[in-house]
Amino acid sequence: MRRTIARPLRFMPRAVQRFNCGPRASSTLHHLKDASVAHHRPQTHHHRDRDHERRRPESDVVPHLARQPLHPLSLADLVKHGRPPLGAEALLASARFTLSLLPIRLAHRIQALRNLPYIVVSNPNISKIYNNYQASLSTLLPWQGRTISNLEDEIRFTEVLAELVQTHTDTIPILARGFLECRKYISPAEVTRFLDEHLRARIGTRLVAEQHIALHFSSTPHFDPAASPTPCPEHPSYIGVIDTALRPASTVDSCGGFVADICELNYGVRPQWIVDGEPDTTFAFVPMHLEYIITELLKNAFRATVENGMSREPVVITIAPEPPEVKPPQQQGQVHLKPPKESRGAFDRDAIAPLDDNAPGVTIRIRDRGGGIGSDVLPHIWSYSFTTFSESDDVPGGSWGSDDALSVISAANNGSSSIAGLGYGLPLSRAYAEYFGGGIAVQSLHGWGTDVYLRLKGVGKIE
Amino acid sequence: MYGLSCQQGKLAHRIRDMQQLPYVVVTNPHINEVYDLYYNAFDTFRKVKDIKTLDDNDRFCKTIRSTLKAHLTVIPKLAMGILQSNGLMDAAELDKFMNTILRSRISRRVIAEQHLALTDTFHAHWFSPGAKLSESEFIGEVFLKCVGKDVVSRCANAVREILQRAYGPDVTLPEIRIDGHLDANFPYILSHLEYIIGELLRNSVQAVAEKHQRRADKATHPDKPPPPIEVTICESQQHVIIRISDQGGGIPRENLPYLWSFSKGPASDKILANFGKVPKMAATMQELQVEDHEHRSSGSGSGSHGQSSHASAREGGEIGQDVNSSLASLSSRPPNLRLGMGLPLSRVYAEYWAGSLALHSLEGYGVDAFLQISKLGNKNEQLTTRASMDAV
Repeated sequence: MRRTIARPLRFMPRAVQRFNCGPRASSTLHHLKDASVAHHRPQTHHHRDRDHERRRPESDVVPHLARQPLHPLSLADLVKHGRPPLGAEALLASARFTLSLLPIRLAHRIQALRNLPYIVVSNPNISKIYNNYQASLSTLLPWQGRTISNLEDEIRFTEVLAELVQTHTDTIPILARGFLECRKYISPAEVTRFLDEHLRARIGTRLVAEQHIALHFSSTPHFDPAASPTPCPEHPSYIGVIDTALRPASTVDSCGGFVADICELNYGVRPQWIVDGEPDTTFAFVPMHLEYIITELLKNAFRATVENGMSREPVVITIAPEPPEVKPPQQQGQVHLKPPKESRGAFDRDAIAPLDDNAPGVTIRIRDRGGGIGSDVLPHIWSYSFTTFSESDDVPGGSWGSDDALSVISAANNGSSSIAGLGYGLPLSRAYAEYFGGGIAVQSLHGWGTDVYLRLKGVGKIE
Repeated sequence: MYGLSCQQGKLAHRIRDMQQLPYVVVTNPHINEVYDLYYNAFDTFRKVKDIKTLDDNDRFCKTIRSTLKAHLTVIPKLAMGILQSNGLMDAAELDKFMNTILRSRISRRVIAEQHLALTDTFHAHWFSPGAKLSESEFIGEVFLKCVGKDVVSRCANAVREILQRAYGPDVTLPEIRIDGHLDANFPYILSHLEYIIGELLRNSVQAVAEKHQRRADKATHPDKPPPPIEVTICESQQHVIIRISDQGGGIPRENLPYLWSFSKGPASDKILANFGKVPKMAATMQELQVEDHEHRSSGSGSGSHGQSSHASAREGGEIGQDVNSSLASLSSRPPNLRLGMGLPLSRVYAEYWAGSLALHSLEGYGVDAFLQISKLGNKNEQLTTRASMDAV
């Protein structure tokens, strides 16, 4: 459903230099030799976009922007401009707000990338992502001095946003590939730390941009939801990308159907599932996020079930709405409840605070008979897949050690992003769940099956 | 001799621990009583000379027995003391102290009871040194072969009986269904296992029964049964996991921070009041002796003093009837007296044997509890964990 709109001229990221910083480089000297060769290649005038960046400190705005604090995004911010269709003034306000946030967010990401080891960022894949961020920031910089005060500007600004969203669509698989190639030069712990923070930040940045785009295409002046490059459902319960009446049971059924189709293609068997608890529960959430999480969790459950020979046992999905109107616990004593360490991501300040701390949420339990997770694998389920890849040489084209035809095919079918197939499903799902104050816990009964608890905090009551 | 030196060493350490607690806590009457008990025990054991003869050993056993008996009420006393210390000391520190003392207590009592049981076996008329014992007999009390399904059934019946008696005939209790690897068996201390599973089942049955009573369609559908509790037993090479899944409405959000703690924050006063109402909570030696006498004359359980707990357990006797178990008085309390101790105490026991206890709550719906039991005694015995536990 992706339509394009007129793209403004912009810098294209440099084509990657063809030196090898992967496993075949047996020593750093070898790499340096290539590097010096690379230096002598014909240069173009756009220094900023070369992989061998030689930054000119005086024109570098990143440190200044990165020093500014990240605005603690709240969902109130996203919906404060009103219910669609927004009028012109509200739309402009939304544009200005978005503009105030994005350059700083991008600068923080660039800064984080800059702090990775030189040899890592020199990897062509990592470098490509790095350049994408620099390029995107450079498209936003011209806007910083101006105030968006008329509809013409707003249209152009929205185009810039769409460009940004589009450019960064494949960030994750590209980063994944890059880190895989660099696994000799950076520890898994460091990568996990970086990715945890980066992916969470990415969720927020995309959310802010996509929200404005959706509000734009559903606004009175520009009403044309079909033309939106990002989802913009035309439905009264939607405010931008937030569905205030999202019914998780429906998401489960549609994702379940999709995953079951793939199973049928691959294994010749179609797993069953049952939805119990309170299927008619609705709450306010971002449908895209929920679809991603549910798809990943169902993939795990279905695949395990089939491979364990238990495909006649349905996967049971229980939907449990939180009772509303509960007073928050009084934090009197010094006892604080934390979820067990292994189920908690590196969650930090970049989260979006739910509109209302008492916003009723939902817990979804996915229970399968897939034989459980062995104790040797269990400590690694929250890691990014490259850690399980073997030490042997090159990364093959499509499947990356995740022997997972299911994922590869689903990646091909899933038009949006090829995130699937990386073994990133669980950590990324957790990032989405935790972003609004929820979480995921996994409980394995090795020899029987697995229970997964997905806690989702509602994004709040919206009057 | 090993037993003796263990007792002496561990007691000394615990006394030290208590001496380090803030003055205001140790002068709490309950904690103070425990402190005295420990001090006296230490003093007693200190005076025991080397054990060189069988007579020496008999005297030693007498000392152990009387100490065990005197210390039956330590757990509830400590718990009450901690509740009353709410706000006087950092809750996390209090929990740390409580966990340490409870773990130490488990090891001391296990060693002590093991020694008693070994002595009894030695003195039994059918025993001759060097004779081989079959698997169905056992050496000492410690590791009994527990068949998961049987233990769960027994606990389920006991819990339902206690609760039905307390609630009266009009309240329908949920069914408890068991599935999974029904033949799974593993070595464990039966009284510990029964306590843990008893507590978990009690929590579940109570929650479901009470939620069912509050249901909206009670008038229109009076005969609707409450949703069953599903227990799943799962065996793998290294573990046995018992999952107890209920639809009792989950854990209220305000209780969550205190779930695993002996401190209960704002609810402390209410729980303290409950402690006072439980029979035998503040039991003195006198009360226990009277109770003991009644118990034996009523005919359930059999055999000599030291064997009665084993016999009644082995013959599938009722839980909670064994007054010599310090957990017994806790298990037989009526349901309205919530003490808030079941979970943290169960976890101490579970973790002592290199296992774990975890809870997942679906707020508004129900709770899943997971008891993971390590199959000790096989090649994979988790020596490091056990060593660190025993070091306490």
